[in-house]
This record gives sequence, C-alpha cells and structure tokens, in this order.
Amino acid sequence: MKNKEIYKRILKLIKPQLPLIIFSLLMAVVSVVSTLYIPILTGNAVDLMFGPGKVDLAGIKNVLLIFLITLLAGGIANFLMTLSNNRVTFKIVRDVRLEMLGKIHSVPVSTLDRMGHGDILSRTVSDVERLSDGLLLGFSQLFTGVLTIIGTLAFMFATNGLISIVVVLLTPLSLFAASFISKKTYTHFQAQAKLQGQMTGYINESVNAIKLVKAFGAEDSKAEGFNELNEAYAKTNLKALFFSSITNPVTRFVNGLVYASVGIFGALLAGGVGSKITIGTLSCFLSYANQYTKPFNEISGVITEFQNAVACAGRIFEFLDTEDSMDIKDGCEAVESPKLTGEIEIKDLAFSYDKTKRLLYDINFKVPKGHHIAIVGPTGCGKTTFINLLMRFFEPDNGEILFDGISSDVIHKKYLRSNIGMVLQETWLKSATVAENIAYGHKEATREQIIEAAKKAHAHSFIMRLENGYDTVLSQDGGNLSAGQKQLLCIARVMLNIPPVLILDEATSSIDTRTEIKITKAFATLMEGRTSFIVAHRLSTIRNADLILVMKDGNIIEQGNHEELLEKKGFYYQMLNA
Amino acid sequence: MKQLLKYLKNYKKECVIAPAFKMLEAIFELFVPLVMARIIDEGISLLKETGDKSVILKCGALLVLLALIGLTCALIAQYFAAKAAIGFAKGVRGDLFSKILSFSHEVTDKQGTSTLITRMTNDINSVQNGVNMSLRLLLRSPFIVFGAMIMAFTINVKAAIIFTLVIPILFVIVTSITLTTIPKYKAIQKKLDRLTLHVRENLSGARVVRAFDAADEETDEFTKDNNEFYSMNRATAAISALLNPATLIIVNLALMVVIWQGGNLVNDNVLKNGQVIALINYMSQILIELVKLTNLFITINKATASASRIADTLAINNTLEDNGTLNAKEYIDSNEVLSFENVSFTYPGAGAPSLEALSFTVNKGETIGVIGGTGSGKSSLSSLIMRFYDASEGKIKLFGHEICEYSLNSLRSTVSYVPQRAQLFTGTIRNNLTLGASGASDEELWEALRISEGKEVVEKKEEGLDYVLTEAGANLSGGQKQRLTIARAVAEKNPLLILDDSSSALDYATDARLRTNLKALRDRMTLIIISQRVVSVKDADKILVLDDGKMAGFGTHDELLKNCEVYSEIVNSQSGREEEM
Repeated sequence: MKNKEIYKRILKLIKPQLPLIIFSLLMAVVSVVSTLYIPILTGNAVDLMFGPGKVDLAGIKNVLLIFLITLLAGGIANFLMTLSNNRVTFKIVRDVRLEMLGKIHSVPVSTLDRMGHGDILSRTVSDVERLSDGLLLGFSQLFTGVLTIIGTLAFMFATNGLISIVVVLLTPLSLFAASFISKKTYTHFQAQAKLQGQMTGYINESVNAIKLVKAFGAEDSKAEGFNELNEAYAKTNLKALFFSSITNPVTRFVNGLVYASVGIFGALLAGGVGSKITIGTLSCFLSYANQYTKPFNEISGVITEFQNAVACAGRIFEFLDTEDSMDIKDGCEAVESPKLTGEIEIKDLAFSYDKTKRLLYDINFKVPKGHHIAIVGPTGCGKTTFINLLMRFFEPDNGEILFDGISSDVIHKKYLRSNIGMVLQETWLKSATVAENIAYGHKEATREQIIEAAKKAHAHSFIMRLENGYDTVLSQDGGNLSAGQKQLLCIARVMLNIPPVLILDEATSSIDTRTEIKITKAFATLMEGRTSFIVAHRLSTIRNADLILVMKDGNIIEQGNHEELLEKKGFYYQMLNA
Repeated sequence: MKQLLKYLKNYKKECVIAPAFKMLEAIFELFVPLVMARIIDEGISLLKETGDKSVILKCGALLVLLALIGLTCALIAQYFAAKAAIGFAKGVRGDLFSKILSFSHEVTDKQGTSTLITRMTNDINSVQNGVNMSLRLLLRSPFIVFGAMIMAFTINVKAAIIFTLVIPILFVIVTSITLTTIPKYKAIQKKLDRLTLHVRENLSGARVVRAFDAADEETDEFTKDNNEFYSMNRATAAISALLNPATLIIVNLALMVVIWQGGNLVNDNVLKNGQVIALINYMSQILIELVKLTNLFITINKATASASRIADTLAINNTLEDNGTLNAKEYIDSNEVLSFENVSFTYPGAGAPSLEALSFTVNKGETIGVIGGTGSGKSSLSSLIMRFYDASEGKIKLFGHEICEYSLNSLRSTVSYVPQRAQLFTGTIRNNLTLGASGASDEELWEALRISEGKEVVEKKEEGLDYVLTEAGANLSGGQKQRLTIARAVAEKNPLLILDDSSSALDYATDARLRTNLKALRDRMTLIIISQRVVSVKDADKILVLDDGKMAGFGTHDELLKNCEVYSEIVNSQSGREEEM
C-alpha cells in the first residue's frame, strides 16, 4: 500500500471525529498564541519600569490584567485540546481493534493460517497501539509545534529583524549536533543490540531449561558462560549509553551559545544611539531563544513516531482489506435451514494455497447417512486440508461438497457448521472455567447438561479432581491439563449437542494409553448412528470403518473397506506391513 | 531498592563524581541570569553613555565560558553515571542468574520461567535506567530548583518570597498527579494484556469459534474489555492532561507577582530592570527542572518496583535443603542401587498425592521399566530420584544411603537423566554433549553417540561435533534432538541412567537398537526406562506399573500379564496399534 493511500485511509478514520478535531485545532491556536504572547507582555511590563520613581505602576497593572486573561485562556485551551486529542485517538483505536477482531472472524481460516497468528496478533495489538501513539503525538505536538515555530518567527521579525536572524541562524546548530551524535552512536547501539539479543537468548534458553541444567549439575558452567556475555555486554552498553547521553548536554550547550549571542547582539543594539530596542524586547527575545529549539526537537521526534505509525497503519489496513470468506456462493440463492441427515457427496474437490502447487485434487466419494469413514495416509497427504474444506474453513478452488444433495456453497456457513461437530487433535480451550468451555457456543446449557456431557465424555472424574471442579478457571491453552484431558474436554464440548456429522481426529503418541481408552470409548458414543470422518491411527478404528480413504500427496489413491484394500495389495497393504 | 544498593559498592567513586559534576554544571547554569542582568543593567547603560562595549563583550564571553564549562562537567557526569549504572546492572544480573540457577524445581514452578526471564531482562534494564537517571538528576534538579530560589533571594529578599511559596505548590501538584496516574497506567497495561489474550485465543481457536458459531459471544466479550480499556485510557489521560496547564498557570501567576513586586522595587530604587529579568529567568528555570524531576520520579518509581521484584527474587529461600556431605561417587559399588521405602509424594500446593506408598528395590545392573498413564506418577518418580523435590513421606536410598545425605551436586552428577523434552543449547554439538561430562574426549563422545543411535546424525553434518546448534536446537528434528540428549546423558558414564519417556520421537526400530546398546552396558550401568510404550519396557528385568500414583504391579512382563490387570489392559490397548500412519 502506498503512503499516500495510507494517509487517505487514516484521514477517513479520523473523519467522523472532524468537529472534535477542528475544536482541538482552535484550542491549539489559543494555547500557542497565549504562550508566545506572555513573554511579550513580560517585556512590556519591564519596559514600563523607567527607573527609580518613574515606574508606571498603573500601566503595569493593566499589562498584568491582560497577562492573567491570556494565561487562563491559554491554560484552559491547552487542557481542552489534550482532552479532545485523547478522545479522538482512543476512540479510533477502540473502533479499529473491534474491526480487526471482526475481520479475524470473517476471513477464511486459510488466510489466518497463511498470514501467521503472531503476525495478526502484533497487527491487532502493538501496531494499533503504535498508531495510537503516533496519532496522539501528531495531533498534540505536530500542530502546536508548527504553530509555535511560525508564531515565534512572526513575533520576532515583527519586533526586530536583526536579532531574529541571529536566532534563526544559530538554532539549527543544536539540531545538527543532535543528529550528528545520533548517527555516531548508531554503530554502538547496533553492537549493543546484537549482544543484548545474544544475552537474552542465553537467558531464555538457560531459564527454560533450568531443570535440565540442574539434572546435569551444570549450573556453574552455565553461570560462567553467562558472565562472559554479561561482561561483553556491559562494555558495549557503556559506550552506547555514554554517547547517547551526551546529546542533551550538547544541545544545552548550543542553546547556551544562542542565548549568549542574543544577549550580546541585543545589548549592543539596545545600547546603540536611537535604538528602538528596549530592555523589555531583549527579555522577550531571550525567552524566545530559550523556547525556540523545543518545538524543533519535538517535531523531529514526532516525525519518526509518525512514520512508524503510518507503517503500522499500512499493516493494519492491509489486514482489514483481506478478502472475507463467502457465506453463500456469489449469485446463488441460499437454501434456508435444510434438515441435514448426514448424507454426503464430494465431487472433484481441489484446493491449494499456492496456485502453482497442487495440495489437494480430484477428491471424489459418496457417503450414505450414518457411515463411518476412516481417512489414513502419511503426514502431509492432505487429511487436514480435506477437513478444513469440509467445514468450509477453506474455500475450494474447484468442485463441491453436497449435503443431502445440496451444494454446501448455498448453505449458510453458520447452519452448515452447526450440523458438523469436530474434535481435533490440536485442542483449543479458552481461558475460562471448565463449565464455560464445555458449554462453548451453547451458553444456555444448564449445569446438569454440562455434567451429563462431561460424564459421557469420561471427563467428569478428572474434572472433579481439579481444585474447583467445573468452576476451575483454565489458564491459557488449557494450562496444566494433560493433552489427553484437554481432548476429553473438547469431546465433552461436542457431546453437549451432538450434530449429525462428525469429524474426529484420533490422537497420536502424546496421549497415554489409559486416557486413550477413554477417548476411544467417548468417540464411540459420539459416532453412534452419525456420519463420521475419522483421521485414524489405530488399526481397530480403521478396520471397523465402513469406508477407508487412503490419501497420498493430495489425492485419494485407494478407497474401500479393510478387506478390499488388503486384497488390492496396494499402498494400504504396504503401509500396514511396513 | 535498598537490598540492591550493595551492588553500587564497587562504584563509590563514580557515584560521588557523577552527581558532584552535575551539581557543578547546575551552579554554572545558575550564574547565567546574573551575568545577563549585568549585561542589561551595566553593559547597555555604559554603551549608551560612553559607547564602551567592553562590559557587554566581557559578559558575553563569560556566558560562552559558562556554557563550555557546563558542557565539560556534564560530559564527565554522564560518563561516570553510565559507568556506575552499568556496573551495578552487571553485578545484579550475574548474581540473579546464579540465584535462578540455584532454585529448586518447586520454586521454579511457582515463579514460572517467563517471570524469571522478565526479572533478568526488563526489570534489570529498568533498574539500570533508574540508577543512571538518579545519579544524573536526583541531586541536580532539586539543586537547581532551590539554587534558583537562593539566587533570587540574593537579588532581593522581598521579591524572592514568592519563590518559597510556588515551589512547594508546584511540587505537590506535580507529584500528586503523577502518583495518581501510575497505578492507573498499570491497570491499563493489564487490560491491554486481556485484549491481547482475546485476540490470541480468537486466532488459535479460529476453527472452533467458527465451528461453534461463537463469533458473536467472542465479540461481546472483547467489546466489553475494549470499551473498558477505552474509558480507562480516557480517564487516566484526563488526569495527566491537567499537569501541563496546571504547572504553567502556577508558574506564570508567580511571574505576575514577580513583575508587580519588581515594578514596585524598581520604583523604590531597590532593584534594576536587569535584575527583574534575572528573577523572571530563575522562575522559568524552576519550571523546566520540575518537569524533569517529574519524569525522574516516574523512572524511579518504575525502577524501584523492578528493584523490589528483583530483591524478592534474590531473597527467595530455596525449599530444598542441601545439607548432605557425602559424595555419591564414592558409594557406587553398592549392590543395591536404588530403593524406595514407603515413599509418598504430593506436589506443593496439590490436593492429592502423586505417588503413594511406593516400595521397591533396584539392584546393580538391572534394567527397570516404569509404565503407567498420564498422571500416574511416572515423571514424579524420576523427579524424586534426582531430588528435584523431596518426598513427602518415606525414604529413598541410593547406593545404600538416603539421597539427602549426599550433596545435591554429587547426587545429580552421579545419576544421568534424560528428560521427556529434548532440550539442547545454542552452541556446538560437542558443547552440548559435554554438559555433564566436561573433559570427555572426542572418542568418548562418539562412543556415546553410537550407543544413543545418534552417530549418523552427527556424521551427516560436515562439521561433525563442531556443528553449531541454533537456539534450543531448532535446526534439528525432534528425533535427532532426542538422540543427542540421550548421548549427552550416556557420555557422563554414570552408574545409573534414567530415561524419562525420552524415546517417543524415535521409530520402533531405532528405539529397539537403542535399548540393545544400553543393555550391553549392564555391567557398569543400571537402567531405568520410563515409557508409555509396552515395547519399550517389556524386555526389562522388572516392570513397575503405576496407576494413579500407586504401585499396581512390579515384576517381569510375563508375571504381570498373569496377575496385573492394569498392565494387561495397557498391553491389550497397544497391540495391533499402528504407529506413523
């Protein structure tokens, strides 16, 4: 996405808040004018002090009155400006995040898989956060900064051109100095970042493997290795930290020079014959000289931050622009809530992420209601892709899936999915209570129904042994439940409301035998009388299936029941006798 | 923070020099308004009256000189502050790392590794920053604030009284606003973590959310937290937004008083115009320094929070006592290698015991299989032998002595252990293999690799033993890693080897060869194989069957088939099972 386009999109985001932004800008003008006017008023007051016995106290009183009004107006305007900026930004952030979540729900799952979860997560969390920071700074500092610079220049030149030129010529020096130093320190920072990365890696690894280190009594050698890194890091860290910390004193020094020059020139001019420059003007210039570099420094900070924010906005928009999955195929009419029995036909189904590489193709078969289909084949043969297509997580490139003769393209996804239950090997649990997890998608379920489902799934006994039983809050990803227990919970989730079609993923080695027996029993309860697809690893399951689909390299190479396939002496036969 | 101060001990000199030079810089800065006042009051009138520029030029030169000296002082101060802060952080980091490595498993579990890593990284960085900034500013900023006030007093007492009033008011406002927002920002961060969790779950559970048509529920939950995040942000930012205008108004009100007083005093011939300007300048210096001071407070606040977390971690008492004096290596000739006498074990904080009343004996040269379901206590068993935890009841004896009689280090370096998770470290294969066998020769390592069936893995690498593994051994497959972890344990040549379910990523044939290789070492090594696979344990001299933490059987395969129901159940469930389909 081009930057210009991103700016347009950002403006579009901001647009609904336009009145608030205009208000904020007005407040900024008031605030800046007030800040710039105060030194002038101070100067005016000083100029009314004509010397002993000649001070125009009444005049000073008047000046101070204006001073007070200016000050209060400026202060209030500044506060209101910040409030409106905050409101605009936080609102945008809130709405963008919500839109992002909606997008996560509406894109095809294949898009999420392709983009990577970490990437989308960082777009939704840190990119939005950085966009917010950038917008906030942009609103609050960019505008006031520019206004301050213009205002200062205008006020200065209106008062005295010569001193103004001195200020204008000298102040960029501090900016140059700052950028010069930051360039010089860059290499030190790089070296530091590299070592820091190494050290963090070392810490991560050692602490994560702390039990192992102790098992080998290798604490000392690990500590030794760490000390070496620690020493090296401290050395580069000193260089980087010192060089970066000289920026402030150096800018301060340049500022001091500007201040001295303004003082000298101003005084020389003021002392000149018939000079119009008064002491008050000089004091006003001195405070401008003090303030003048501040907006420059701020703006340069804002610009980096803003560039960052634009890059983040680009990533956010890119995600928001990804194509949604189609609920109903374009141009087709939806079949409203057909009653599905579980009869399924797959015709010429094909899918690939990357159009040059076939992932799954030529899938054809028919399943009568209530039959059990075992899908077998080596890793990467396309079993998972097939399941994703069946659930319409992925959109097929070609072919269709018919339920009771109705193409799944014209069945609302929501309806279709409520007719298919799945238990995948990669279990997913929410950080919520056990009961909430079982009643997932069925908030209305009563505690009795939940317990009933858990009992049928053979999960009740271990749930009761948890600290708070059904009210135990699971930590992220099921916390310290074992893989088998997690799968039992997922089974209970389906058990609560068993749909006519099932997709089951049989566990491989990570689950112990005793739990596996429970899972097998639970699966059997689920499958009774229902059309079921089982990604199978156990011979007994495969043997009992009505139809075995043998997949290899994205294609069904053999299908039939156990005996038929054995007779064929093909790939299936080879696999069993491997 | 106090407990950590000792780490600054070696940097006493730096800790004095840095703030001292910062103060010097401040003093020079405080002179600037006085010099400027002289330019205005004496310089300009002298120029007007006699055309003599000398005072202006002299004072101007003095201003430049002040700036230059100020710069020098500042640079010196920055250097020493950085040096002290870094040295401090280095010391804390080293000690904290050793401390973490010394933690018992119970402590590690309780703290959580991610917390410990945060202590080592973010927290230490934050404390380092705090020390650095404190050395630079903690003295300088208050010094300028009070210095400016004192300088104002030297100009004129009457005009300066307002300074004594304005400083405490500013201080109270700035600190109270800052202190009220700090905990609020913490709460906001927590809310953000919540939002992150929502998004993470919606991504990892994309399929389930869709399958159960729960997008609306998820959105509702997210919206609730998202809205709260919004209101919290707004409320807190509104308080912060007060800071700027409030300080500005107060300082300028004081300025008005200075101008009014100044006007009167000039009228009474007590003050000159330039001196009034100097007073005005002191007022603005105070404002600038107070803002810095506020930021410093925030930094220090963060740093002290981090520091107390670090101090807490450093102060954690290890739950495992290491009082044993015997060296396990001296007793390895004992014929009885291991015995459990009525051992029970409950994980700290757990409701039910993981192991209950376990008794068995292992003799020299035997191969013992341990089998059972998840949660049956298999892994707890090895944790007890390695003394990662102490048994709650009963006695565990190794080579005829209770394991707590040995020093922890000698115990663990006498028993070799291969954990379930194949963990390796960044570095060469050689470095990894010598983790517990420092000084082992290349031949010895190759021999260990041969036994562990890992020889070909290493041979295939051009660099051989010098092949460099990336973090956590990410450039090897699961099976390859597992073979190396076994080799690492075998290389120790210890009299007892425990394989804790550590051949799960090996295919049957390799697993079988591995067991044959290990059996060949029986004259010098006793072997305990913990597994879920019947094939892995069935040829063992004795098999210990665990069920829900209790011993369901202890005997040979054939004996158990006859009289152990749990065992036959496991055997039946695994027969006919096809792997890798």
